[in-house]
Amino acid sequence: MVHQVHKGVAITPLSPPFFEGKGDSPGVPNEEYAIFLKGVSKTFANGTVANRDVTLGILKGEVHAILGENGAGKTTLMRIISGILKPDSGEIFIDGKPVRIRDPRDASRLGIGMVHQHFTLIPEFTVRENVALVLASSAWLDLKKVDEKIISVSKEMGLEIDPESKIESLPVGKRQLVEILRLLCQDVRILILDEPTSVLTPIEVDSFFKMIRDLKSSGKTIVLITHKMKEALQISDRITVLRGGRVIKTMPTSEANEAILASLVVEGMVPAPSLGRGTPGDTVLKVESLRVKDDRGRTAVDGLSLEVRSGEIVGIAGVAGNGQKELVEAITGLRKVESGVVRLSSEDITNKPTRFIIEKGVSYIPEDRMHRGVVLTMGVHENLALKCIEKPPMSKNRIIDRESMVKNAESLISRFSIKASDPCASVENLSGGNIQKLIVARELSNGGVVLIAEQPTAGLDIKASEAVHNKLVELRSKGVGILLVSSDLDEIMKLSDRICVVFGGKIVGEFVTENLDIERLSRLMLGAK
Amino acid sequence: MGANQLTVSRGTKRSIVKALLSVALTLAVTSVVFLINNVNPVIAFIYLFQGAFGDINLLSETLIRMTPILIVSLGLAVSFKCKIWNIGAEGQLYIGAMLGTIVAIGIGGGFLSLVAALVIGAIGGLLWAAGPALMKVKLGINEVITTFLMNFVGIYLVQWMISYPFRSPDTYFPESAAIPSSSALAVILPGTRLHMGVALALALVPVVYFLLERTTFGFKVKVVGENPEAARYGGMAIGKTIFVSLIFSGLLAGLAGITEVMGIQFRVRGSLSPGYGFTGIVVALLGNNNPLGVALASLFLAAIMNGSSTLAWTMNIPMGIVDLMQGLLFIFVLASEPLVRLLERRGVLKL
Repeated sequence: MVHQVHKGVAITPLSPPFFEGKGDSPGVPNEEYAIFLKGVSKTFANGTVANRDVTLGILKGEVHAILGENGAGKTTLMRIISGILKPDSGEIFIDGKPVRIRDPRDASRLGIGMVHQHFTLIPEFTVRENVALVLASSAWLDLKKVDEKIISVSKEMGLEIDPESKIESLPVGKRQLVEILRLLCQDVRILILDEPTSVLTPIEVDSFFKMIRDLKSSGKTIVLITHKMKEALQISDRITVLRGGRVIKTMPTSEANEAILASLVVEGMVPAPSLGRGTPGDTVLKVESLRVKDDRGRTAVDGLSLEVRSGEIVGIAGVAGNGQKELVEAITGLRKVESGVVRLSSEDITNKPTRFIIEKGVSYIPEDRMHRGVVLTMGVHENLALKCIEKPPMSKNRIIDRESMVKNAESLISRFSIKASDPCASVENLSGGNIQKLIVARELSNGGVVLIAEQPTAGLDIKASEAVHNKLVELRSKGVGILLVSSDLDEIMKLSDRICVVFGGKIVGEFVTENLDIERLSRLMLGAK
Repeated sequence: MGANQLTVSRGTKRSIVKALLSVALTLAVTSVVFLINNVNPVIAFIYLFQGAFGDINLLSETLIRMTPILIVSLGLAVSFKCKIWNIGAEGQLYIGAMLGTIVAIGIGGGFLSLVAALVIGAIGGLLWAAGPALMKVKLGINEVITTFLMNFVGIYLVQWMISYPFRSPDTYFPESAAIPSSSALAVILPGTRLHMGVALALALVPVVYFLLERTTFGFKVKVVGENPEAARYGGMAIGKTIFVSLIFSGLLAGLAGITEVMGIQFRVRGSLSPGYGFTGIVVALLGNNNPLGVALASLFLAAIMNGSSTLAWTMNIPMGIVDLMQGLLFIFVLASEPLVRLLERRGVLKL
């Protein structure tokens, strides 16, 4: 790569936002800018800082890509613009004029529309009905007018669509176009697209980009949220890189390339002091050319192979949505394996029931801890016995031994310093961090041979994260093989003995954590070759 | 350890408040109806209370009324805990009553006949619930619809059976032959109709409590009901749990039906149940699916049903007041959760 110069950047500390060159120094809001954000900050109730002092200008009629990792604050920022979230501080200017966007209706009046990752169309309704739903300004519904609008807008988009086709009968790619069509029917001038290509096949992506260009030439302003460098480079006029909620840099796309962007995305990232290394033994978990589909029926895990040995932490690094969730669910028996093999030590556990896999010693800390990991309305003691209720000492002959449950809870509460008013307290009264400690306690105390930890510290404060990390390392020293799935690169680097990078359902690179090339890792995560 | 069991958790406190609130609102709206009819509500409720508990006879009649309601609603509580909505208890009750009666008459008298009738009656209810349970688990068909529709099939099937094949030869009405008197449930309070069925129903309260709170089945019912995703993650057999909880509620509905026959009616008629299967739904919800709460709620509903007949002839209030109160109770029980939440937000209630 020509831009090897930038490699050094990776170990400099995080620098404040800086702007340079023409078109990327938005000092003053003026009419050139369709949107101008000045000092916008947002902190969530749970303490997560999503945006810090963001100053950013979107020029009229440009395609502007917002690039960054998970948790960089891209989506939050766009939700502020589209009126879904309120900023804590900062100003928003539309066409150079200061505005207050209190709700999505305000945004719509200002000509701003957002297409979310999760679609908002009603599947049982036709295209016409879905459009009519947002156009209806009076009680009287003039379907002819709606049809005229659909036809004129779809011509502008270069889209062929039958207003009478039902949404549920359309392929996902087309649904997204209807989503955009519906916004354009509302005379939206500024389109915000949140990871629009994540639902598209490669062929669809090409025609989607053609449509973006058409819209641009008809004068629309387009903001594209993405974590794929390739796409940002391919379609945008300018690129803004966000990291940790800050604007790192805004630059014209013509001056950017993959190396520059990768270094910006990971800028200031220093490998965290690692928590020692394990002493790997025999292979305990082996995944061979695994193929798994996601909920929509698309191939999410695409011929993936990996190995975890005992006493080793293998980190799966990658941007969320690259098959990690499906991989984990396939291993734990929660999702059907299409082809390939999952082996535990030497036993084939492919497509075995979850119960069987749990009993063979696979523990699992799920990402969605509130919905999957615990039953909120039940007690701490009951949640700690969730997976072993049918075995002694928790129950004998199907009769529950409540005393054992409480004793078990008391000992885990003190060993894992879970803060609970009493061992039978309802889990809904616990804080998020303590719920996670409870899950960790349960999964670590059942004597498994393999632990799958999925985003184990997401949303936790530093102290709780440390506690979880220390427990994982402790478990590794006891000879358990750990598969750590996380989109937090710091966490991966801190804990892992080996790092596998997943992109598009495949392992695209493997690193030993000593002498790690963070830039190359980051490039692989973002889909570069 | 003992202390833990005795402390009332926030959830329990909340559900007690919800139940009391629904009862209070029901009485309030009923009072308005009384006022419109120029009846003093205070006096009306006194009559209602007297009609239900006024003397030993009235009290025993109320307990008799409570018996089938309690048995049905204990079963429904289990399926509702699993978030499985069995709306078909009425049909299951009739099928159970019919099958049990056939067995009692077939065996012909004696203790064996009684036990066999109760067992077969309960199994009849179970089988009637098994169809919808199977459709739910195997095909994913909504149990609300299937159990509800099976009511009609069950009730009309029983109507046909007592009109033709099992019609009593010595009456002019479509009704079954009477069970042998030696196989009837014994009267436990001489001079009244109070029979062993009430003891059976009350004995079921701790049994169902034990089932829900002390067995792995009850544990799984709660996990599946509260969070099926966690149940899947925990490796629990969700389908099996749903199936068993639904047929269990059918089992008790069938038992309620045959108990009513063996204790009070002694034969199957079209009027065997004035909708106990539906009343059980209100009762289970009002009692928050807690066996003890369900026991209190079924006594309350039985009292309303019996007390209102006294009310009807003393104060000239139509008997329809029962349906009114039951309907109001249903609405307020459903509305109590958002209501309590509203009161909490306004700072009126602190739970």
